[in-house]
Amino acid sequence: MDRTPSQTIGPFFHEGLRWRDGGKVAFAEEGKRIVLTGRIVDGAGDPVGDAMLETWQQSPRGTVPAATSGAKNPHGFGRVETSKDGTFRIETSMPGGAAPCIDIAIFARGLLKALRTRVYLAAQDKARADPMMSAIASSPRLKTLVATATGDGEFRWDVRLQGEGETVFFAF
Amino acid sequence: MNDMTPPTIDPPYLYPGYRSTLLRSPKEKLLELPRGALDVPGPLVPKGFVRDGDNDLTIHGKSAPLGEKMVLVGRLLDADGRPIRDSLVEIWQANASGRYHHPGDTHDAPLDPNFHGIGRTFTNAQGEYRFVTVKPGSYPWRNHPFAWRPQHIHFSLLGNAPVQRLVTQMYFPGDPLLDIDPVYNSVPDPAARKRMISSLALESGIEGIALGYHFDIVLAGAKSTPLGI
Repeated sequence: MDRTPSQTIGPFFHEGLRWRDGGKVAFAEEGKRIVLTGRIVDGAGDPVGDAMLETWQQSPRGTVPAATSGAKNPHGFGRVETSKDGTFRIETSMPGGAAPCIDIAIFARGLLKALRTRVYLAAQDKARADPMMSAIASSPRLKTLVATATGDGEFRWDVRLQGEGETVFFAF
Repeated sequence: MNDMTPPTIDPPYLYPGYRSTLLRSPKEKLLELPRGALDVPGPLVPKGFVRDGDNDLTIHGKSAPLGEKMVLVGRLLDADGRPIRDSLVEIWQANASGRYHHPGDTHDAPLDPNFHGIGRTFTNAQGEYRFVTVKPGSYPWRNHPFAWRPQHIHFSLLGNAPVQRLVTQMYFPGDPLLDIDPVYNSVPDPAARKRMISSLALESGIEGIALGYHFDIVLAGAKSTPLGI
């Protein structure tokens, strides 16, 4: 069957898609808690203050996050809005695996289809060694997918939708 | 064109007729991932996440909301036509006057204290969903002179896998504003566009009370199925 096309989330999604504790990602197992913050800007360098980010990642053990029960949010999945200044904040656990990373989907007014990307919480050489990144392993653009450690368990990752320093987005 | 070329079902990122795309669309080439890279298991939303009544948008005020009451039913399917069961469906919409219950909506149309325009449900074992709501109004926006959005309901679908994640909008049959709407017309293929239009389904309504509409949603194919299903 033929797929239903994508449309923009528009500017008025907040009440409809807001999840309680959407920015506090939980897991079945203990792990090192980390905070990922960042800012999304457009092609003019202006903040994107009406975006929604969704995150999906491996558990601290490096496995698919276990199912939750009751009314809880799904393990391993985060959903946050950007503030007016384009910033976002996600509390989660350090993902397992050889190159710890979080898959990101960005939705916003002006995005007729979500943007997909990924942030590595590891040194750039680990991202370079990830087979998923083989097509850009030698590109200077790879660094747009690597977060900067700013303190113990604190990471910073900014997103540029367009223009100089544009973040690498995935075809899908 | 070969079988590796993805079909142009979705809109392009840059669609100048929709002004907000101008500064938000990537200009660099998108990274082609190894085949199947996104086809991994997705989040599992537990049943308790949705409460009774969350699929009826008309029962959360002191009295009934204004507008034309409607029942919206449909199925969530994958590319092979198989039902996607126990999957979260979230909707949001303007009220009957064309105003969102949202601080950013400054349209000079009345808010309805009895209508917030938010609903969620799970598909059942046959992939079916059902909402009770009111028909949303059209509203003006600043994209171009005399721009008005056709009546629409926003849909968010998680599917089973990240590759199936979809946000879309459902439109209504016969709406004259579809022809001039850049968001709707950003979908290049006219046949794909029409798959975003619901159909009248009188028997799905409530006799003497609510009109029925039908809207099926087809997500991408995925090999990943949640554990235990």
